[in-house]
Amino acid sequence: MPAGGLGPEPRKGTDVTGDDIGSIIGRSTGRVTVVVERGTVANFATAVCDGDPVFRDRRVAAARGLPAIPAPPTFPFAMENWGAFPELHAAGGDDGETGTNALAEVLGSLMEAGGLILHGEQELEYHRPVYVGDVLRGESRIVDAYTKEAKGHLMTFVVNETVWTDDATGEPVVTSRCNVLHRA
Amino acid sequence: MAMVIDAGGDAVRRYVEDVAVGDVAPVVRHVLTRTDLVRYAGASGDYNPMHHDEVKATAAGQPSVFGHGMFSMGLLGTAITGFVGPAAVTSYRVRFIRQTWPGEQLVTSVVVSAIRADGGRHLVDLQVSLSNADGEVKVAGQATGVLLARA
Repeated sequence: MPAGGLGPEPRKGTDVTGDDIGSIIGRSTGRVTVVVERGTVANFATAVCDGDPVFRDRRVAAARGLPAIPAPPTFPFAMENWGAFPELHAAGGDDGETGTNALAEVLGSLMEAGGLILHGEQELEYHRPVYVGDVLRGESRIVDAYTKEAKGHLMTFVVNETVWTDDATGEPVVTSRCNVLHRA
Repeated sequence: MAMVIDAGGDAVRRYVEDVAVGDVAPVVRHVLTRTDLVRYAGASGDYNPMHHDEVKATAAGQPSVFGHGMFSMGLLGTAITGFVGPAAVTSYRVRFIRQTWPGEQLVTSVVVSAIRADGGRHLVDLQVSLSNADGEVKVAGQATGVLLARA
């Protein structure tokens, strides 16, 4: 594994594939604030075939000792697609303004040469449950990037980590690590 | 609206005294449909056409549309929360091993591999996987849940 964050800063359009892949470690891949909503959570539960009313009804959640409707465990991977509204980002000023996205940059470079992008591994670590009503702040960066030769294919692995914290208290909520691979 | 929900709803609270190493959680079985893929695309915001557009998927050399990896992880998550509780999971990780295809029956496996104390908490480690009816593994990994003690 290459040392992190010490390589030359790649520019948009720079080829950060192959031997230079380690140069993207440590780079930001985005910053976002999301609100966790009941309809979105209930709809997500339905989509993963979970009919438990606890994901839909606050009274059921309360009867089971929970402060609010919880989100299913894989919801954090999807929540930024539905819960990131522009006014949530006004106060910080920098949310959503991250310039070039290191992940998009490296995947874009790889795809120019063809091949296939695959989701290789996914890890979620929960410091506390995610609940409807939460406002969460996510900061993402590349934490690892490396290449491997397998069965005559060059495989490029990029690990993107998102640390979600409670926007009000700053307490950690969920850490998500997504290992994406490109097979040439 | 016709909606088939074939899992969840298990509100039995399990305490740490109720589980032992080797215990197997109730199995969730689900036959994957194209409607599942569309529903998951909408609920997750993942509109990769390989998962809903048959024309693009076959043009790309795939035999048909195929399931989102995160749908597999989510379906397996339904079996996990059904066992340890909806807000009890402290970690969950999987490797995506094979694609899932419409028409396949997907079957969960959640097995208690360890029970341990962490400070004042009781943690239950789970070996988890999702396979098709032929036993071909689609995703596999580990999860940990926190359970309360009766005593």
